[in-house]
Amino acid sequence: MASITEIYEQQNQDDGEFITASRINTDKLIQILLFICASIATLIVFYIFYFLFEKAGNFFRLVKLEDFLFEEEWLPTDKDDPKYGARNIIAGTLLVTFGAMVIAVPLGILTAIFIAEIAPPKISKFLKAAVELLSGVPSVVFGFFGIIILNVWIKEILGAPQGATWLSGSIILAIMALPTIVSVAEDAISSVPKHYQEASLSMGATKWQTISKVTLPAAISGITAAIILGMGRALGETMAVLMVTGNSNVFPDPITNIYSPIRTITGTIGIEMGEVAAGSVHYRALFALAIILFIMTFIINAVANFVISRFNKKLRGGTKKTTKIKLLKSKVIKDNIRIIYLTIIAIFFGWLLSLLFEFTQAIIFTLILLGCIFILRIISPLKLEQYNILIYGYILIILIYWVLSTWFSELNSLLICGALVGFVLILKMLNNINQQRVMFGIISIAASISVITLTVIIYYIVSRGFPAITWEFLTESPKDSGRSGGIFPAIIGTLWLTVGAIIYAVPIGIAAGIYLSEYAKDGPIIKIIRTGIDNLNGTPSIVFGLFGLGFFVLFLDLGISMIAGQLTLALMILPTIIRTTEEAVKSIPQSFREGSYALGSTKWQGISKIILPSAMPGITTGIILGMGRAAGETAPILFTAVVFKQKNLPKFVIEPVMALTFHLFVLATAIPDSETQAAGTALVLLILVMILYGFAIYVRNHYQKKINW
Amino acid sequence: MNMKVKFKRIKNNHNIQTKDAKNRSIRNNVIIECKNLNLWYDDNHALKDINMIVRKNKVTAIIGPSGCGKSTLIRSFNRMNDVIDRCKIKGIVQFKGRDIYGPRISVMKLRKRIGMIFQKPNPFPMSIYDNILYGPKIHNVRDKKKLEDILENSLKRAVLWDEVKDRLKDSALGLSGGQQQRLCIARAIAIEPEVILMDEPTSSLDPIATAKIEELLNDLKKKYTVVIVTHNMQQAARISDYTAFMYLGELIEFGETDQIFENPREKLTENYITGRFG
Repeated sequence: MASITEIYEQQNQDDGEFITASRINTDKLIQILLFICASIATLIVFYIFYFLFEKAGNFFRLVKLEDFLFEEEWLPTDKDDPKYGARNIIAGTLLVTFGAMVIAVPLGILTAIFIAEIAPPKISKFLKAAVELLSGVPSVVFGFFGIIILNVWIKEILGAPQGATWLSGSIILAIMALPTIVSVAEDAISSVPKHYQEASLSMGATKWQTISKVTLPAAISGITAAIILGMGRALGETMAVLMVTGNSNVFPDPITNIYSPIRTITGTIGIEMGEVAAGSVHYRALFALAIILFIMTFIINAVANFVISRFNKKLRGGTKKTTKIKLLKSKVIKDNIRIIYLTIIAIFFGWLLSLLFEFTQAIIFTLILLGCIFILRIISPLKLEQYNILIYGYILIILIYWVLSTWFSELNSLLICGALVGFVLILKMLNNINQQRVMFGIISIAASISVITLTVIIYYIVSRGFPAITWEFLTESPKDSGRSGGIFPAIIGTLWLTVGAIIYAVPIGIAAGIYLSEYAKDGPIIKIIRTGIDNLNGTPSIVFGLFGLGFFVLFLDLGISMIAGQLTLALMILPTIIRTTEEAVKSIPQSFREGSYALGSTKWQGISKIILPSAMPGITTGIILGMGRAAGETAPILFTAVVFKQKNLPKFVIEPVMALTFHLFVLATAIPDSETQAAGTALVLLILVMILYGFAIYVRNHYQKKINW
Repeated sequence: MNMKVKFKRIKNNHNIQTKDAKNRSIRNNVIIECKNLNLWYDDNHALKDINMIVRKNKVTAIIGPSGCGKSTLIRSFNRMNDVIDRCKIKGIVQFKGRDIYGPRISVMKLRKRIGMIFQKPNPFPMSIYDNILYGPKIHNVRDKKKLEDILENSLKRAVLWDEVKDRLKDSALGLSGGQQQRLCIARAIAIEPEVILMDEPTSSLDPIATAKIEELLNDLKKKYTVVIVTHNMQQAARISDYTAFMYLGELIEFGETDQIFENPREKLTENYITGRFG
């Protein structure tokens, strides 16, 4: 047996000047390559932005910006006097998203807490997989459910004048945002190191105290990210909203009238884009709408990043060396500033109230608030948190009261609000154990609501779709405008589109993710790249569709073709893959890197041999999410790749394809008497996505079994 | 960024010194030498004008209270501090007479010559087999027979072979803490370093595992030069030939272990060793 010294003898001699670096630096090359991949996402964002503005062209020279934003008449097809007032459309978008978040955020976060902290391991594991599966349910399937079930219920059970309403839009969007919020928030919560919780529990804290005071604050940036991602999904959602909200250009009256039909930006683009001539004023108006949508997502992302970075700073704690006296002094000054700031808020709040209520009522509410602030100031001048809780709690209650008062009589609303306040106060007074019982109860109820809702949807899709599924349905082409025959070409088309998108997006996405987590140092360029990727992530799918139409289909002259659809989808899923890769790679303990460096590995060797294999489960999750989105999306391929009827299967990437999502969309909205076929298509689409997801989850769990640290 | 500037400044006197320093270091059996080494994390001056030497085939222990810069010092011997962005270094660290912060230094080759064991055992999340052979593979040992020789030799030298020879393909994370640390030592040995740096290698282990590692150390010093950072003064006294005592980023006293423990020159050293603070 050769000794180690012998084995290395030759090598050590060859090294000669033993620690001199060689001139060729492959590591640097790899770094540059990764950097290019990371920049691509940024370039795309800026290009999309530029592209939208360019296409919107001189729209704003023909129509004044204030007319566009504040006029309510949207009559683009009127020959004599076309009108382009988007007020109702913009308001509709905001309202439907807001409604969805009101439902989805509490449900989603509580469900995430349930899965991460409370549920027994087996149930938690099952729910986690279920949530992941459900995040793949395509939006057209939800839209279809909305049309055949939800809208009927809203009309018949709740007695609304029509089924297609703001309410149904918000409910569908909430259900769609739910899996996103749950899975991201759950991830954030369960990745809080166990020893934090153990430290808290060891001091005699209850489990609920530990969750609310230690775990949740530690996971807050992840939870915020979950909310933002969910919001982005709701805001940019096209197909489901288009299918269920009625698309009437009206403003809800009063503004809380949830039974009013509503029209969104995405819906408008989705409906009208297919029918306008390229370059016309109407065409440009739709791009102008897309810009509004893009700006909204831009703002949401900016706010999200600000919030996340603020919380992160708070968590990490300052390292400033301030002497104790200075600290005290600054606290007093800060306190006074805070008081002034709060007073300003209170006055602003009063002004806001005067818009909602009668003048005297508004003054009374404001005075109560001011009074409370000053009483608190006298009782406990240094406890800043209490002011915040008081003021925001108060504002929240007043707003809830106002919303309720538009639905019910004033007395009833007052009673409901009183009950709410009473409940919170009683909860505060309970002892720790009972508090925990109540909170766990609430969390479990929220989790069951989420689970039941999602189960109901699946149940209806399966039960309605099952009769349609026959051998012919799966293997034949559609006949009689899809009323009979099968959906074989659509299945194949969807597969091709998904596979193509993944092939284009995965290499670049992973490379960019690695660059951002392992190589990027804080600097202006990295900041720009990050902002770019964040915004690409929040960009609504319909905007990708527009971009795909303008760039791949028209500019690159690929025509309505499979490759145009694949590339558009690839752009769309790129940020998902980048982000999850980055997160997964970042979560690998530093000690692995150090261990590798200490053995004389180059950075890239460490990454490729240790970091990437260890991060594989996380990266796989990202690819799953991307696949699910690609398979289930309709909006990006609506104008770029799909046709409803096709004689032969496409042979080249340059030919258009059929796709399950588009097929279902057309059947559900345009072809009467095709409900069974539509349900069958929905079921096939659902099963396809589930198979993809199930397979990917299996792969990930397999990896996870191998790796545990 | 900043470091590059620093390197340039050093470059000028580097060439003049090298030859002289090389001869001297061979004469004195010095393998690592640092001169006026200063290190900052942002504004925190973590190492202040450190001057010390590490002799070949000896065990040098670095002791001192927490936060005195022991780990920082040892990490600057194989440039592990490069990983930390905020870190600035000034001064010279020579390995066999060559300034390791000088120009055209391959950090990878340097680290191959100067291995490191960390405070917390950090086996990679893969099999024992892959853990040991990770180093040889990245240093281009491809021959299967040679790899197997390395595997067996290094595990035997780390006194782990008998415990793991039947489960080489099992995950290294299934080993006990002490076994993991010995695995890390075997992993370091597998690339034939000349110096092994140990950053409190036994601080997360129980006394029995600690005893095993210490026994192993005694054996290792026949072949390797060992620098060990330790919290434990008895450990330093037991195993080391030379001891450095650090306090608040300064090297207070450096000398032969017997002298440091029996007859310290500095009052501070005496106080620390007799347990009057720390």
